[in-house]
Amino acid sequence: MAERISFHDQISRNKWKSVFLMIIVFIVLLALGYVIGLVMGPDYFMIIMVLAIIISIVYIITGYYKSDKIALASVNAKPASQTQYSQYHHSVEGLCLASGMPKPRLYVMENRQINAFASGRDPEHAVICVTTGALTKLNKQELEGVLGHELSHIANYDIRFMTLTAVLVGMVAIISQIFLRSLWWSSIAGGRRSRDNSQVIFLIIGIILAILAPIVVMLVQLAISRKREYSSDASAVKFIRSPTGLIGALKKIDAEHPPSTAEEKKKINKAVAPLFISDPFKKKVQNAFSTHPPIKRRIEILQKM
Amino acid sequence: MIWLWILIPVVIIAIILIYYYNRFVVLGNRINNSLAQIDVQLKKRADLVPALVKVVKGYAKHEKQIMADVTKARAAMLKAGDIKGKVKAGDALQNALKSIFAIAENYPDLKANQNFLHLQQELSAIEDKVAYARQYYNDGVLYLENASQKFPGVIFFKLYGRQKKDYLKIPAASKEMPKIDL
Repeated sequence: MAERISFHDQISRNKWKSVFLMIIVFIVLLALGYVIGLVMGPDYFMIIMVLAIIISIVYIITGYYKSDKIALASVNAKPASQTQYSQYHHSVEGLCLASGMPKPRLYVMENRQINAFASGRDPEHAVICVTTGALTKLNKQELEGVLGHELSHIANYDIRFMTLTAVLVGMVAIISQIFLRSLWWSSIAGGRRSRDNSQVIFLIIGIILAILAPIVVMLVQLAISRKREYSSDASAVKFIRSPTGLIGALKKIDAEHPPSTAEEKKKINKAVAPLFISDPFKKKVQNAFSTHPPIKRRIEILQKM
Repeated sequence: MIWLWILIPVVIIAIILIYYYNRFVVLGNRINNSLAQIDVQLKKRADLVPALVKVVKGYAKHEKQIMADVTKARAAMLKAGDIKGKVKAGDALQNALKSIFAIAENYPDLKANQNFLHLQQELSAIEDKVAYARQYYNDGVLYLENASQKFPGVIFFKLYGRQKKDYLKIPAASKEMPKIDL
């Protein structure tokens, strides 16, 4: 039973992390509101704080309930029809029988690269999305391996934490960017307004915060995402009882060329990149910013199973 | 104070009793549910067989023996009472179907028929699903066995008079699937 207990541990850990993340994002948003309020001056302070509270609550609630839709929309995924993608549906149904999970909703996204991701907040509200490249280039066994990997993300509640991170963190990045830009404009337009020292300090704090916030949260996100991939590979093997398919799929992914045109790169938002089974940007260098563990290492581990 | 000293152990014992009772119920239900899932898939397989026989007959009239075998196996499966019997008959049907797909190799027109291809794909998906549902069933049996044989679970298992479940044996023949290129 040791295996099951660790499985449950992982689920509760993911649930706790999701709650923490929501609290942290709430605090970050409030802090941003606070700084913006101070920069704008005492006349606007109260209004901005109230707005910040309302916006961050609405934002986190939509993030929680609609994260899967936001993620799907950001890659322009379409529902996979039962007749057109019957093999895809059959494989997922089989794996759901093997793992005792409800069948997630299935989506397809237009992309020549082999890739896939899962999203949602729990197994009852989960989605799996694969690229058209994966459906054409992978054989049945390999596709099953990839889908098994995604189903384990769903079973472990990785999807809740990962999608929440992607959606909430992505937004922090956007907000601070807007903040930075508006500061730039106000410093040009408002040159004649006299500023005292404290406002300048807050301005600097604001800039630092706006730059640091997304980077810090992104680093945290990347570190967890990498460990999750290994454990999902392992669970996929547990469902399928054979690592062959997943190894084959990873080898094919490894052999692929990185996306060359800017057009292809633009299709996937950076914020949702960690959701995918392999890094959609395929950077060759591994460092603290890598969203995924090296594929060769994953294959090595799988081959030992 | 004395009451408290009596009350606390009673509550703890009650919680343990309820915990183990529910645990065995959940594990047992999971096994029953996976049996129902196997049953669903077997039924789907049986439903597809007449359509398959009809398509094949149009191209391969002489293969009467195989058709008769498949029809017979299907009838036997529908007649089987309990799930164990059904699973066994389902395996026999699967074997009979395999011979149909084997003879299809000799009939290029049949192999190219869209209906036939579709049915072949559906039946092979069902075969996979039966295998996966069985695997889940056997996993469930393993969990129940672990829970019922370990201490202190073993005491409660006997106390509640719950039944052990048997593993579903995977027949030797179905382990080696002939791979048919689509």
